[in-house]
Amino acid sequence: MLKELLVVIKESSYISKSNISKKLNISEELIEEGFEQLIRMGYIKEDVRGIKCDVGCSSCPYSKSCDKMPIKTIMITEKGERLLAK
Amino acid sequence: MNTIALVGNPNSGKTTLFNALTGSNQHVGNWPGVTVEKKEGKFKFNGNTYNVVDLPGTYSLGAFSEDEMVARDFILKGNPDVVINVVDATNIERNLYLTSQLLEMGVKVIVVLNMIDEAEAKNIQFGIKTLSKKLGVPVVTTAASKRKGIKELIEEIVRVIDGEMDLKPSISYGDKIDREIKTIKKLLSGKTLEYPPRWIAIKLIEGDQYVHDLVSENKALSSDSEFGDVLSAVKENIEDNELEIVNRRYEFVNDVTRVSVVRPEEAVKTVTDKVDKILIHKYFGLPIFILIMFVLFQLTFAVGEDLLGGLMAAAVDAVGHAIEVFLVNINSPAWIIAFVSEGIIGGIGAIIEFIPLIVVLYMLIGILEDSGYMARAAYIMDNIMRKLGLHGKTFISMIVGFGCNVPGVMATRTLESKKDRMIAILINPFMSCGAKLLIYLVFIAAFFPNGGGLILFLIYFIGILVALLVGKIFSRTLFKGETTDFIMELPPYRKPVLRNVLRNMWDNVSGFLKRAGTVIFAVVTVLWIMAVLPAGVEPYGAESILGRIGLFIAPIFKPAGFGTWQAAVGLFSGIAAKEAVVTTLGMVYAGVGEGTELISAIQGAFTPLTSVSFMVMTLLYTPCVATIATIKKETNSVKWAIFAMVYTFAIGWTMAVLVFQTGRLLGFS
Ligand SMILES: Nc1nc2c(ncn2[C@@H]2O[C@H](COP(=O)(O)OP(=O)(O)OP(=O)(O)O)[C@@H](O)[C@H]2O)c(=O)[nH]1
Ligand SMILES: [Mg+2]
Repeated sequence: MLKELLVVIKESSYISKSNISKKLNISEELIEEGFEQLIRMGYIKEDVRGIKCDVGCSSCPYSKSCDKMPIKTIMITEKGERLLAK
Repeated sequence: MNTIALVGNPNSGKTTLFNALTGSNQHVGNWPGVTVEKKEGKFKFNGNTYNVVDLPGTYSLGAFSEDEMVARDFILKGNPDVVINVVDATNIERNLYLTSQLLEMGVKVIVVLNMIDEAEAKNIQFGIKTLSKKLGVPVVTTAASKRKGIKELIEEIVRVIDGEMDLKPSISYGDKIDREIKTIKKLLSGKTLEYPPRWIAIKLIEGDQYVHDLVSENKALSSDSEFGDVLSAVKENIEDNELEIVNRRYEFVNDVTRVSVVRPEEAVKTVTDKVDKILIHKYFGLPIFILIMFVLFQLTFAVGEDLLGGLMAAAVDAVGHAIEVFLVNINSPAWIIAFVSEGIIGGIGAIIEFIPLIVVLYMLIGILEDSGYMARAAYIMDNIMRKLGLHGKTFISMIVGFGCNVPGVMATRTLESKKDRMIAILINPFMSCGAKLLIYLVFIAAFFPNGGGLILFLIYFIGILVALLVGKIFSRTLFKGETTDFIMELPPYRKPVLRNVLRNMWDNVSGFLKRAGTVIFAVVTVLWIMAVLPAGVEPYGAESILGRIGLFIAPIFKPAGFGTWQAAVGLFSGIAAKEAVVTTLGMVYAGVGEGTELISAIQGAFTPLTSVSFMVMTLLYTPCVATIATIKKETNSVKWAIFAMVYTFAIGWTMAVLVFQTGRLLGFS
């Protein structure tokens, strides 16, 4: 399941978990789990949500805009690419 | 005395169940990680005493954290007679991963589907018999917080402890690994070890560092050359083996849940697919995006200006007037009255009047964001940016830049390659931030009261266009290098939640207000002093310090059509903070005209054409100091910060001149 998931991620132009769920015939909850596991195992990487400004944030009037990242993106790591190459 | 261990994911209700079983009162909290050490308690049933151990919550039983070690050590070394696996029924897919690891341990397990009340409320249905058969262990449902199902659970516990249980392994890891497990298990037999041999075998193949260390410290094993050979063969393939084992666990979970869990079909998801066919369509996607932005700006004006704008202006006027009257009545010195009425009210009041527009605009943007459309917009832009040789993630930092360029520049941190990041940083200032919005609003009010939406739309559009073009040029010339690939997630659409929308709006508006009270206030004060000094000159006149600075810079802007000293000082102070363009104009024109003085003064000093070239200038020219400082910090280079200051000015000036001169040739004035 994990490898299939990785292949689907590689082939997609965007990620829709419900589409992937349909494609692999695996429940969406489990697909969600699969993503997290792939991240934990270092095959893919997800953008950290939010930008951490390390200095002077409390006084910055726009500090609140810093905590959010409107869009999630995923990258396949080197380890992931190695697996795909096999 | 029999011992019962409670294991499960964090926040699955273990402690609640522990309390229900033992009648004790351990700390329960609705967040993960409440129980950090194991807790013990007792209960009596049919004259027997049972010892219950509440373990810390874990998602897995590896050696990643202290909690995982505590839990797995107790299960394997504490000799519990039965392990109760508390599963959050609303999240069963995630929870069963831990279950799959428990089943590897060769201990008696009972699966408790806790929070069954919530699962029922969410309309999730379980085939308990099938679930139990597939897992190979008894399954009991409970609602621990309501003390439901506790009696049945106790009965099951007694049954399991007294009875026999088939502990045959239920997960196969594929022929190759299964064979390796058998081989290792055989080699381990007869050796004194703290853990069951089969479990050690799995962990060795999976690459569990703790177990590897354990084995290498064992004298009997390290002197066994056959075992050494097998072990080094295993070590070669650890990455593949780990993936395969984890994979098999998930397949097991999938196999189990597929036939035993039914979740309600979510209508949103089918709708999402259909809607996306249009919204991210190869050809329609972009026009629709543009149309949505256009409507957004139209709505902003219709609601923010026509409906609410007048009220706010009237309120500012009334309050300003009242303060002036008050100051006169208490016999304040003339300079204080002048400072307050012309500096503060004329300057800061000018920006306060536009708050309703800003509120509406950011609420609309918040709706787009919360509904999930923003991700689609980024996806459409991603395709375009790739074609231009830019990294698609750049657009994400650009979206953030619409609020403020400081976090916008920070957001480029998610770009991996230096090349992509430098380009994204350098073009971010072209994104029209909330502060610049004020400038357009003033000029729109003066010259295009009926076409505000269109003008705003065009300005933002020009900003994006210039950013893309400049980015393309940079990627061709200044920066070379690989771009990294990435995939965007498109979440299902959902109805925007009012709370999120309001919070998003407030984050921006509060930032705006905070700035008005601090940075802008300071800038206004300094400028006011410069506008009334040296003593004796006419205040706010060309002879004041401010006026002389303005006169000195003004000729640069002649070709762009706004070569007045007022416009020049406005742009100059805009480098301190963009709002200051408006406050400065508000102040230097405060003596002129009456009523909404600034608007009528601007109508006198600019023409429709020069107002457009001025807006283009403010859109593109040198970013504010806060942004420059951030660019310096993020690029770690003064050189690039100065470059950003200078090249944006050059582009702003060029574009403004282009607009003015072309406009004149075409006969506009
Ligand atoms: N609706 C409902 N809520 C429950 C049930 N069982 C527990 N809860 C709630 O779930 C939350 C977590 O419960 P805990 O017992 O602290 O969970 P835990 O598994 O001990 O959590 P950690 O110690 O952090 O691992 C609490 O707010 C409980 O009131 C249940 O059966 N139904
Ligand atoms: Mg607990």
